[in-house]
Amino acid sequence: MNLVETYGNLIKKTAPAHPTAAFRMIKTGLYYERFRTKHLADKNIPGAYRFLNTYAVNYVLQALRTPDKTVWTNIFAPVEILQCFDLRCLSVECLSSFLSGFRIEDYFLDYAEEEGIASTLCSYHKNFIGASDSGVVPPAAFSLTTSTICDGNINTFRYLSENRGVKNYILDIPMDNSEDAITYVIEQLKDLIRVLEETFCKPFSYERLAEVIQRENESKAIYEECLTLLRDKAYPSTLTLQMYMLFATHLNIGEPEILTFFKKMHEELLAAPDFDGINILWVHLLPWYQETLQEYFNLTKDCQIQAIEMNLDYREKLDPKDPLRSLALKMINNAYTRSYDRKVDLVCELADLLEPDGVINFCHWGCKQSSGGVMRLKERMQERDLPLLILDGDGMDRRNSHNGQIRTRWEAFHELLLARKGQ
Amino acid sequence: MVQSKKTPTLGYICKYVPFEVLKAAGINICRIEPQTADFCKADTLMHANVCSFARAVLEDFADHDYDGMVLTTCCDSARRLFDTLRANWPDRFFYCLDLPHKINDFADTLYAKHIKKMMDAWEAYAAEHGYDTKKIDLDSFVKENMSKPHPADTLLSSEAPDICNTSADSSVSCQTDTISIGLVGARPGDSIRDLILSKGIRIRFDMTCTAVQRDFGVSVPEGDTLNQSDQERFDSCLCAYTHALLNQIPCMRMADASGRQRFLKDMSEQVDGIIYHTIKFCDIYSYEYTQIHKDFDLPILKIETDATAQSSGQILTRLEAFIEALEAKKNVGQNHLGSVTENPPSASETRITNKETSPMIVMGIDSGSTSTNAVLLNEKKEILASAVLRTGAKSGDSADRVRAMVLEKAGLTPEDVSLVVSTGYGRVSIPFADKDVTEISCHAKGAHFLNPEIRTILDIGGQDSKAIHLDENGNVKDFVMNDKCAAGTGRFLEMMARTLEIPIEELGPLSLKSNESLTISSMCTVFAESEVISLIAQNKEPADIAHGIHEAIVSRAMSLIKRVGAEPGFMMTGGVAKNEGVIDVLQKRLGASVWRYEEPEIVGALGAALFGLEG
Repeated sequence: MNLVETYGNLIKKTAPAHPTAAFRMIKTGLYYERFRTKHLADKNIPGAYRFLNTYAVNYVLQALRTPDKTVWTNIFAPVEILQCFDLRCLSVECLSSFLSGFRIEDYFLDYAEEEGIASTLCSYHKNFIGASDSGVVPPAAFSLTTSTICDGNINTFRYLSENRGVKNYILDIPMDNSEDAITYVIEQLKDLIRVLEETFCKPFSYERLAEVIQRENESKAIYEECLTLLRDKAYPSTLTLQMYMLFATHLNIGEPEILTFFKKMHEELLAAPDFDGINILWVHLLPWYQETLQEYFNLTKDCQIQAIEMNLDYREKLDPKDPLRSLALKMINNAYTRSYDRKVDLVCELADLLEPDGVINFCHWGCKQSSGGVMRLKERMQERDLPLLILDGDGMDRRNSHNGQIRTRWEAFHELLLARKGQ
Repeated sequence: MVQSKKTPTLGYICKYVPFEVLKAAGINICRIEPQTADFCKADTLMHANVCSFARAVLEDFADHDYDGMVLTTCCDSARRLFDTLRANWPDRFFYCLDLPHKINDFADTLYAKHIKKMMDAWEAYAAEHGYDTKKIDLDSFVKENMSKPHPADTLLSSEAPDICNTSADSSVSCQTDTISIGLVGARPGDSIRDLILSKGIRIRFDMTCTAVQRDFGVSVPEGDTLNQSDQERFDSCLCAYTHALLNQIPCMRMADASGRQRFLKDMSEQVDGIIYHTIKFCDIYSYEYTQIHKDFDLPILKIETDATAQSSGQILTRLEAFIEALEAKKNVGQNHLGSVTENPPSASETRITNKETSPMIVMGIDSGSTSTNAVLLNEKKEILASAVLRTGAKSGDSADRVRAMVLEKAGLTPEDVSLVVSTGYGRVSIPFADKDVTEISCHAKGAHFLNPEIRTILDIGGQDSKAIHLDENGNVKDFVMNDKCAAGTGRFLEMMARTLEIPIEELGPLSLKSNESLTISSMCTVFAESEVISLIAQNKEPADIAHGIHEAIVSRAMSLIKRVGAEPGFMMTGGVAKNEGVIDVLQKRLGASVWRYEEPEIVGALGAALFGLEG
């Protein structure tokens, strides 16, 4: 039994009778993880990823330490506005992943299911519900979600906020890109700003929002340049670090540290050697804990993940002079809204850019919007003669992924890709 | 020149589809109520983890001659269903209306515009494909949909009348001795409604998807009707209609679903319980179920279906047990088993009993998937004899044999028995039984008789497992059963024992010798078996593996126990209760002792016999 598992078992043992103590143990664990990532990280990990790792752990630690300045969000919420109020975002997906990192996700998932929450609900949402309802994770100061992408967003946030007395704001994002729809979202954003001003007794600054958006544009432009380099360059990472990219592209986009991260990544890529192994474009979430995939992808010279399409779900530039309209368009025109074909189009665009050897789509347990269209992705990849592997499992609940199944599928796919490369 | 085709038929599934508008345009619009035998096409075209209802709709669409379908963006599965339909039937008409989540004036306007865009798309499609098209008949649209009271106002009144769908009899007056329930949750289909009604239960209100009556009577907007063009009149009528359409009792995907809670609160005094229906892989209703369970002091039964008839046996058991519990609470009629099925005596099985001259003797038979058990009781409630037999291929034959066995043990003949009450999965297949009662009520009855301190029973059977919560009088307060899956059942232990190549009886004693904690983490029995094989390959000790197996089964059982409240006073029944290893782990997890009867398999049959004595 390793140290993390032992510590996780201790947290699970403590949680039923002493949820506050269990929460303290989680924060202590994150404190040590921050120290580890800063001072004891594997030197084979590129500097930019090490920087991002420490930044993200510290960010979550601070969000948990100061719940009065923390907002529960989903990863599609307009975090740029929250940054202008000096609020930290604690996303459902991100905290759930951290709890899974402690190997305590089963306790919270079971807790939620025992209350009656569906066993087939997305485990990220269910984990967060268990963490909140069990009293381990304290309520945040505010809750913000969008109606986009996933059914769970409205229901989970409403359920959480009603149970813990947290003020909740839902942004209803229409599916069509019409002027009416844009106006509808802009009016909601204005209302959200008013509500945040009242709740946190702080005036909103459009100048500050413009600065955030400017940094966001710069960050995204550099990331696009990085993608071009990733076509040929070796840039090792791990499954976990790939998931940390969501901090850079969604939760904290627009922050100065994220701009620093992308600049570092670009510098390192320019100096990186060429890569002659198997390049993979990943679609949807990653089972970061999965042993077989770790064996093949974590800091190896044989296989690397070039990008996850989730990090590139909106590639347009935002207009700092018209920030609310830009944010409305960012949500309305996200690649996951409307038909699944839009997501497939994105995967095709990225395939053109990155020229991967193969594509892996991971069907995360409970994610109907993603799994539901996977056959369309398969058809389009077949048309392009680009090999696609569909894996079923769970992004964070180890009990819903079976190593034997994943190993057989991946290794067969790997052999196929090697044969195509003539290796 | 394209020839004109028959009247087009479009399917729909969501209650927010403006089918009155489509109807006024001469379209035959038809609500799809799928019931499928399998998911052959859906398995090819969609992922298995998409909501079963959406997959069943796909099957239904493929099997029928619809000209297309109108959907809304009501949920993720519906959105993907739309994508799949459109890709695979490119020559049909599909439209997905963008349904707002918030209800306000802006949303009304947006949705009305979407409806107009949809009608434009239909007209273009119809012209291209040579369908009969008809301009919307404004007068009939107004006549059909305007100038009636607003339904939502009526629904939210505390004196609401029955809100029944067409299959529920709204003419039945509110009688105090009839069990009334509210049907809530995801759409159950007619089979569930019919099943409830067939048990003599009154559906006081039906708040499932699409069940609320479509009575969109709204006032014709005031305006200068003389100077308005037809188009302007239609637009203003459409706005009023859209407002009413969006202001139905909200479904759970809407941003504000508080109208549902208010309605339930208003109605809670008028029903004896709630039947909450969910669909496999449709998760949005489980939040409401959880809240009702927490906030309402009403018995609630959750049933989950997958749009197939495969689980009807389990659903029937749950429903009957729930009804028995409600009747016991309400104390309907002369005894609390007022609605227990009375089996007509068959010609071959008509018994001439000598009960007028002899003391009353009753028999309880529990026909389970693994064992068939019988108990004979006299009128002093003394156990005269009991028997346990492995169920064979035909449950009726096993019942015959166990009856003969128990009678032989007691030295009695069939004629000495006044009444036979059956329970268990095969309860309806025993021709000589006079009555049948579900195993939930029977286990509760038997357990309370054996030990009145019992409040929570865990019964792990061969085919299912269940937790039952009792009150101080032995009445069922709540119960939950596992899903139609071998995980967490006796079958799971049998498979694991077979993998370890040891007799099932040795699994318990072996596990008590464990020194190392091993985890079997898979949810699924099949995967768990391959985990066990991996552990064997790693040369792990069989005792430790056996202990891990018991930890796994208890984990699932704990989930059931917690869901019914986990009130101390624990008892375990069923064959698995003989397994010392399971009991040991369970007691540790509960932090309390678990009481067992010396013959844990006969508790259900004992309860059935007790019901027999009560008449």
